[in-house]
Amino acid sequence: MAVPGPEELRALRGAVAELMAKADGDCWDDLAAMGLLGLLVPEEYGGAGAGPVEVGVVAEELGRVLFAGPYLSTAVLAVNLLAALGDSAECDAVLPAIAAGTKRVAVAFAEGHSTRPPAEPATSARGDGAPLVTGAKRFVLDADSADLLYVLAAADTGPGVFAVDPAGPGVTVEPVTTVDASRRLCAVRFTDAPATAVGTPGRGVEVVTMALDRSAVALLGEQAGAARRAMEMARDYAKTRYQFGRAIGSFQAVKHMCADMLLEAESTVSAARHVAAAAADGSVGWLADLALAQAYCSDAFVFVGATNIQVHGGIGFTWEHPAHRYLRRARGDAHLFGSPSWHRERYLHEIGA
Amino acid sequence: MTDIDDDALRAEVRNWLAANWSPDIDRARFAQAVFEAGWTAPSWETGCYGRGLADRQSRLVAAEFAAAGAPGTGHDRADLFACTIHDCGSEEQKRRLLPPALRGESKWCLLYSEPGAGSDLAGLRTRAERDGDDWIINGQKVWTSFATTADYGMLVARTDPDVPKHNGITFFMLPMRQPGVEIRPIHQITGESEFNEVFLTDARVPDANRIGEPGAGWSVLQVALGYERRLMGDVARTTRGRREKSGDLVELARDAGCLGDSHIRQQIARAHALSTVNRWNTQRAKASTDRAEAATLLALGKIAMSRILHETARVATEVVGAEAMLAGPENPVGDAVTFRALNAYFTSIGGGTDQIQRNIIGERVLGLPKEPDPYRDAPFRDLPH
Repeated sequence: MAVPGPEELRALRGAVAELMAKADGDCWDDLAAMGLLGLLVPEEYGGAGAGPVEVGVVAEELGRVLFAGPYLSTAVLAVNLLAALGDSAECDAVLPAIAAGTKRVAVAFAEGHSTRPPAEPATSARGDGAPLVTGAKRFVLDADSADLLYVLAAADTGPGVFAVDPAGPGVTVEPVTTVDASRRLCAVRFTDAPATAVGTPGRGVEVVTMALDRSAVALLGEQAGAARRAMEMARDYAKTRYQFGRAIGSFQAVKHMCADMLLEAESTVSAARHVAAAAADGSVGWLADLALAQAYCSDAFVFVGATNIQVHGGIGFTWEHPAHRYLRRARGDAHLFGSPSWHRERYLHEIGA
Repeated sequence: MTDIDDDALRAEVRNWLAANWSPDIDRARFAQAVFEAGWTAPSWETGCYGRGLADRQSRLVAAEFAAAGAPGTGHDRADLFACTIHDCGSEEQKRRLLPPALRGESKWCLLYSEPGAGSDLAGLRTRAERDGDDWIINGQKVWTSFATTADYGMLVARTDPDVPKHNGITFFMLPMRQPGVEIRPIHQITGESEFNEVFLTDARVPDANRIGEPGAGWSVLQVALGYERRLMGDVARTTRGRREKSGDLVELARDAGCLGDSHIRQQIARAHALSTVNRWNTQRAKASTDRAEAATLLALGKIAMSRILHETARVATEVVGAEAMLAGPENPVGDAVTFRALNAYFTSIGGGTDQIQRNIIGERVLGLPKEPDPYRDAPFRDLPH
């Protein structure tokens, strides 16, 4: 994998921003045509073979506009899962279709109240040759638009990953109402659903965790891009909204809120880019950095999203104004791949505390 | 600017040091040699005691000197007195004042803030009145470090109260060793005394030591402050490692027996996140080729550092618990925590308060409008005080 130079990254960022500016809906075909769905897919499977740094750049631009398509689930999480699984037949069957935009894939792992993979999944896969999956998964990202599900389930050989056809028998996919309308989450129930084992048996929890960690780089990028956009909204409004005969941004009470938002937004950008580069380098201690960044960026984006509404005053309290959509995204993102306090505990564990 | 590649420069410095430096050499003789070789301020022009190197290369020279344990370089960054004269002084002043400064013979201090002019420094009231070839200074300065050892005070004083406040200020290099200069240490909330008050009563400074035109002192001051901010950034970067180590909350909590407390653990991780993310901001600023991006991140560094220090001290206080009530050398744990909590104000007030820094970020980085100033065009003498 070639290390991308600043010029390449700038061009990539510009191309994504341009598409997002004119995009309508999830513009899936455009994303495929531009090679963005196959960004992480190795070249031998029809992708670009790019790494976390490039994905981080794309994610920042998608985050800016609260892009609602299933990019994070299909083009990031599913591809990272397949890379971690190392099942070449499955890669052959699925990765070229993801890159081409003809297959959407969701990963079902969470159960109960946590968005992290359970150490011992209650969902089970029984039978050796033709396993049947039974159980309930929650918070499954973009399952309602998926053509294929990968399910973390317990088997006799230990927890594994199983491919299930969401349109097949024994599967019900039920979208749940989310606080962030631009993020689709589903409850998925399996009752003796026919499945195929993927990858090495017994390594399911480890592999899903690894895929989630690699994919968190994209979530951080989305948080950074969106936090920056929310900060810019507040800054621009503070320049143009007049009260008492002056722009409200000339009042220190408002100006200082904007300065604090800038600190948080820029810190989020720095954290996202640092973690992406560390993931690309395979730096020692990157999991500690990742955990710290996930906790920090979640809190920081919530702060910026919330403060943006306060800077806007009354108009920010209306449904029509986009400010609340950024706070909703921030609140959802803060739990999507684990809560900030969970990540803080993980960080301490990683540094031996 | 001289074109020399980094490796060749490093080799040249090493060879020069090998030929000229040894730890037992006479310091004054070595200082003269460094000066004559142009190493005291390598980024300055060859015609002005320098070597015409890039700023970055000047740091390489400093690194080589530091590695050898040799003193004498870095005056183009750390010597605010010399840098201000270099940028704003006359040819005569450069020839007269720079050589001793570059040889390390001129110690200096800052005479900027006053009891009535802190955040609003341009409101300063210390007067300078012309008397023949001299100016006579009357007033009071405050927050001056190293006042007792300084040869010169970098002084801003009011020379014209009949024009708006920024336009009536003049910049001087005031000889400190004279009867009209009285120095009293300030007893700080930490118990230390790093700073002084300086009382100026009919003190004299020759007109030859006026830097810039009368009334142009504010712009000279901006140059001096620019060097100071840059220096503060350098210092913050070089001492960070030590500070983080001494402030390790994990060890503190382990010693206090509360590392298993989930509430404490969460707070420790939050405090670590603040300092780690600040480090990532600094790294991004250094690596950036975009000057605006780097400047934005550096402007944010001060308020970030204030929060790190206050927050870390707050968590440390919670970790040590009731010990935090106790002080003195017989209670080192509580004493250290209290010191950290109180010394955090050094950063959040010193060098301009965090609130002024937020104004600067809001106005210069985000482009928000300034607070209207009804006295902007009023003569200084008409300002309420």
